[in-house]
Amino acid sequence: MTIQQAFLKTILDESSKHSIAQLFIHKGTCGEATDIVSVCEELGIIELAMSLNAKIIETSCDGRCWAAPSVTAQKNNDRGASYSRRFDRIDLGVNLKELGEVLDLSTVHNVFDDGATGLTSRFGQLDGSLLAAVELGAYGVAEKVFQQDQKSILSKIEESKLSGRGGAHFPTGLKWKLAAQNEGPRYLVVNAEEGEPGVFKDRHLLEADPHRLIEGILICCYAVGVEKAFVYINGQAHKGIESFMTALEQARNSGITGPEFLPEKMTVDIEVRAGAGGYVCGEESVILNSIEGARPVPRFKPPFATDQGLWGMPTVINNVETLAAVTTLWQDFPPPTKLVSLSGNIARPGVYEVPADGTLSWNGFLLSVGAELETVPAILLGGPSGTFVHRDKFEEQIEMKNIGAGGIFVLSPNSSVKEITNSLAGYNERESCGECTPCREGTMRLTELLQQETVDLKKVEELIEVMEEASLCMLGGMAGRPVKSAIENFPATWISTER
Amino acid sequence: MIPFDATADDAGDRLANFEKQLLTLPSRKSYLLPAFHMAQQYLDWLPRESILVIASHLRIPLSEVYATATAYSELRLEKPEYGAWYMCTGVACEAAGAQRIIAAIETVPGKFGRTDCQFLCSLAPICTDHRGRILGRLTENRVRAIFLEDRGD
Ligand SMILES: Cc1cc2nc3c(=O)[nH]c(=O)nc-3n(C[C@H](O)[C@H](O)[C@H](O)COP(=O)(O)O)c2cc1C
Ligand code: SF4
Ligand code: FES
Repeated sequence: MTIQQAFLKTILDESSKHSIAQLFIHKGTCGEATDIVSVCEELGIIELAMSLNAKIIETSCDGRCWAAPSVTAQKNNDRGASYSRRFDRIDLGVNLKELGEVLDLSTVHNVFDDGATGLTSRFGQLDGSLLAAVELGAYGVAEKVFQQDQKSILSKIEESKLSGRGGAHFPTGLKWKLAAQNEGPRYLVVNAEEGEPGVFKDRHLLEADPHRLIEGILICCYAVGVEKAFVYINGQAHKGIESFMTALEQARNSGITGPEFLPEKMTVDIEVRAGAGGYVCGEESVILNSIEGARPVPRFKPPFATDQGLWGMPTVINNVETLAAVTTLWQDFPPPTKLVSLSGNIARPGVYEVPADGTLSWNGFLLSVGAELETVPAILLGGPSGTFVHRDKFEEQIEMKNIGAGGIFVLSPNSSVKEITNSLAGYNERESCGECTPCREGTMRLTELLQQETVDLKKVEELIEVMEEASLCMLGGMAGRPVKSAIENFPATWISTER
Repeated sequence: MIPFDATADDAGDRLANFEKQLLTLPSRKSYLLPAFHMAQQYLDWLPRESILVIASHLRIPLSEVYATATAYSELRLEKPEYGAWYMCTGVACEAAGAQRIIAAIETVPGKFGRTDCQFLCSLAPICTDHRGRILGRLTENRVRAIFLEDRGD
């Protein structure tokens, strides 16, 4: 038994197994926004669960935001397999008899499901304790990975073709290698700013499975040789911060971030920083400046962070999902998957883990989440820096390189592409930090041009070209993308959603 | 929280409490944003008095502390007023009928503002009510119900 195995075993041995029937209340941000606590009280669900001796567990949203307010009843059999059923939209009514039947141990169900192993496999199933996370596999991958040397880990990450889930899809293996080549001290910065409108997957990850992120951080720190990591979390994501801080405290107190668990007597110091800004505060060099205490504006690149990042030292900056995805690379589950944040004209908005290896088409995905395809003229992919995908292209496969950070807004027959485009342009104008002229002036001019009765498309195109070429960061660089894409996809009318 | 008021009786105590806490942060520039957050946690906003002590503890020129504070949209350099409803008018919330909700909110007394995306688009339309609660999948009826509840009907 390795040190790590022995260590995880002591955590598991520390307490007894769960009681057999459990009621999960999906609280989290989504639950609270839909008043889950009072709905449960009004419906007598808590009373029922108590009368059946079920353990009541407050947990996070499981990604099915559309189902909120919801609860999951779960029953374990003696082999540890479990049968569970989620009760959706309980504000619209719930069948208490059915709920009771799932919790009631005397009724027999034979549909036991042992669970999937993807990035979201623990969403909505944890009670906030380290034990529950470890029981469902947390730190199991790190335990295996720590038996290998740094070089083989870096090679594995490169082979896996893991790419940055913050939107730019830079190869993660290469990023780690570049930083590892440079003299230390090296730093890791976790980008949990998540400031792109329409994206809410990192918040779900922080709330639903913070230990997966910590595990990814530790693997990165070992592979790259980092002893200090900063986790920069959006200042408005209160529940995400709370959940991550609790998990970090648990990991620290039980020695997971120190030599008891880490190889080579390493200790990793993980510090949480809360952000306080807008969209541009998710740009990596802005975060570096913010952590250093400087004004939160972008830096010139090069030098790149892997050469000169925090305090001039080599720094890896990765998105929350990228680091979480690291923990899936040693499993059989077929990477790559991408978390998408789905909203708009769709029956089941929420967070989904979709294969992004070219095996699923837009049609296939949209149908699986309840779209009535004939009512969907297009989707907007990537919000204010994104593009429209016209329905004519729904046959195409979902590819990692085209999916950005995974924000998907589904248009409806009465959506006005022009209004949406103008709203996004206005957003970019408000969020421009003003540090460089092409974007500070350009985003303003662009909104003005777009608001004209007849839009001068030539001028728009020229302006966007200047912004793309000369902006200091990609906020300005990408601000023209939705405009260009709207004009390209809906050229004739530009007002209605028909081509 | 009640916003810090330099003319109130408790002003000295509140400032002293904040200063005491501030001293627990290392005297390094890197702690500027954490210091701002701490000030807002204790005082609810960044009055001039707080900026002065932050500058002196972290040994950063006052002008730079101000310049940095103004660059963050979530830092409050003016005493905030509360009690307003904030309706999200991001793309998803607009599509889900934000304008209808705004019309309903405008029929109830009180202040009202708009925000950009609140990152809960899956539960659009989203609003933060006058007590700071985030309300998802908001309907006109719910707005009226909250108003009536407040009035004690
Ligand atoms: C305007 C702007 C906003 C960004 N916002 C985020 C963000 O909220 N979260 C994020 O992870 N990356 C964001 N990025 C991308 C980061 O700059 C960077 O590419 C990313 O954190 C790298 O991590 P990854 O390789 O793991 O994706 C943003 C970029 C720009 C230009
Ligand atoms: S492109 Fe825009 S957001 Fe980026 S530095 Fe220039 S002004 Fe600031
Ligand atoms: S658009 Fe309102 S929460 Fe995103």
